[in-house]
Amino acid sequence: MKLFKTLSVAAMAIALVATSITGSTASAASSLKGKIVVNGSSALLPLTLQAANEFKKLNPKVKISASAAGSITGPQSVRKGIADIGAVDWDASQDVPGFKKFDGQVAHKVAVIPFAAVVNKNVTADNLTTKQLQDIFSGKVKNWKDVGGEDADIIVVNRAFGSGTRVNFQMKALQGTDFISKGDNYKEVKSSGDMKTAVETTPNAIGYMDLVYVTSKMKAVKINNIAPTEANVINGTYKVWGYGYYMTKGEPDGAVKAFIEYIQSSKFQNGSLKKLKFIPISAIK
Amino acid sequence: MQLETSVQSLKMGTEESELGGSIKAGSGRMLDRKNRLLFYNRSFKIACIASASFVCLVLFSILFFMFRTGVLTFRDVPMATFFFSTDWSPENESYGAFVFIFGTFALTLLTLLISVPLSIIIAVFMAEVAPKWMRNLLRPVLDLLVGIPSVVYGFLGLTILIPLLRNITGTNMGDGILAAAIVLTIMVLPTISRISDDAISVVPRKYRDASYALGATRFQTIFKVTIPAARSGIMYGVILGMARAIGETMAVVMVIGNTPQLADALFKPTSVLTSNIVMQISNVPFDSTWNNALYMMGFLLLVISLLMIVLVRLLQQKGAHR
Repeated sequence: MKLFKTLSVAAMAIALVATSITGSTASAASSLKGKIVVNGSSALLPLTLQAANEFKKLNPKVKISASAAGSITGPQSVRKGIADIGAVDWDASQDVPGFKKFDGQVAHKVAVIPFAAVVNKNVTADNLTTKQLQDIFSGKVKNWKDVGGEDADIIVVNRAFGSGTRVNFQMKALQGTDFISKGDNYKEVKSSGDMKTAVETTPNAIGYMDLVYVTSKMKAVKINNIAPTEANVINGTYKVWGYGYYMTKGEPDGAVKAFIEYIQSSKFQNGSLKKLKFIPISAIK
Repeated sequence: MQLETSVQSLKMGTEESELGGSIKAGSGRMLDRKNRLLFYNRSFKIACIASASFVCLVLFSILFFMFRTGVLTFRDVPMATFFFSTDWSPENESYGAFVFIFGTFALTLLTLLISVPLSIIIAVFMAEVAPKWMRNLLRPVLDLLVGIPSVVYGFLGLTILIPLLRNITGTNMGDGILAAAIVLTIMVLPTISRISDDAISVVPRKYRDASYALGATRFQTIFKVTIPAARSGIMYGVILGMARAIGETMAVVMVIGNTPQLADALFKPTSVLTSNIVMQISNVPFDSTWNNALYMMGFLLLVISLLMIVLVRLLQQKGAHR
């Protein structure tokens, strides 16, 4: 018993000293303190984590915890007060297909995310017009020969309803037209990774994903004769891209404001953000 | 230390009187020791009861919360629509879960159709036919198979099984109820065959001897005597496998195609309760009918698997009576 008491006293003393030491070094570096919780889109998570690491080095007293589920959880968590920042692939302060706007939330653009329509390697068609894309994804055109390919059934691979990529692709590439939801040659997948596997391994498949996920084992088609490249997004010819947003409840202040400003700073946008293959928001005119 | 004990004995004052004269008659030291033991015994008992009731509490609160959220579905959707409509398009306010309920039962049935005969044959081989060294090798292998995470099976199904099915049958996609059933079969095979193996092994030797004495062949003995005698044990294995098949999510979601349409063909992308929940739950708005409907589907799954467990218990009791 006595030994235990001495031990616990010693442990307490060590803990006290330790906290006072770390506390003093922290206050020396920055006066900003607080806790930031980020939740939402998994597409934006790598960006958030990278920014959080760098931001924490500059502001050791700020704690940032980031997690991701689906885009819609971002603004929802903000509304419920669970998170300070909700990462989402569309502007959640406005109505988008399938989702109502979140009143009282402010959207902050943090990155530009390009999307590409991708097909299996065996598909010969390499250019699709907006009309052809609409017809394929709404199920009106069922055979590749009708859109400049060989005589084979088109396999449509779609993301599940609620995916941020799906919302963006529907708005930007299909200009708001509806997807098919049934059929023998139609399936839905859960994530960008599953989409990649499905398009790579299924002959005659067509799908869509973030441009950064496109691999050499599949083909990104031209849309209206414009190739999906970063350069074409920046010069304004390739239209299928969206902003990644951080949603906050009202205008942010304190640590949250500083964090969003850090992510939007040209140092981060042109440095780490580019390395993660997003496009800086300032690049878009 | 001295102080603590005296405090305890004060607290335990009521118990002291219950124990009667023997303690009172003892010396002061004895009294302390008795009280201390009494205190330890009591607190251990309380800790045990608390742990047991905690488990029950967890189970009932899970059931309660799933039901409470799930039942809100029926504020907006008539019960008949939810259970019997095949139109699931939450974006248009249609919440018919029949496709998924049907899919779950069809998938489980198909899985059992493939896996039960196979498992019983494997079990018979291990218990009756295989030489001892092979038996000793096969049993640990099957035990290891039980422990493979389902996502691994799903991944192999997606990258190997589906292209294979596509090549063999010439279908366009390969996704569907048959692919899922094959993956599930591989998953539940070890469970069913190991339990059946144990059940067959414990059939008393005299049954077989009697059968042979009547002039039965080995085949007749196995299928007319041994397997019927091990029936309840085999059923136990089948139901455990069935429960695993019904609740399996990750492996299924990767090969079933995830499209809300009725599974009326082997190679048609479809969806079951588990796969639909995991596909959609991260993308639904809180407090929406859609969210509630997914909870209701989860509650249905819970009820189905609880019924399975009750069935297993009943069978076990029946087996014990034999």
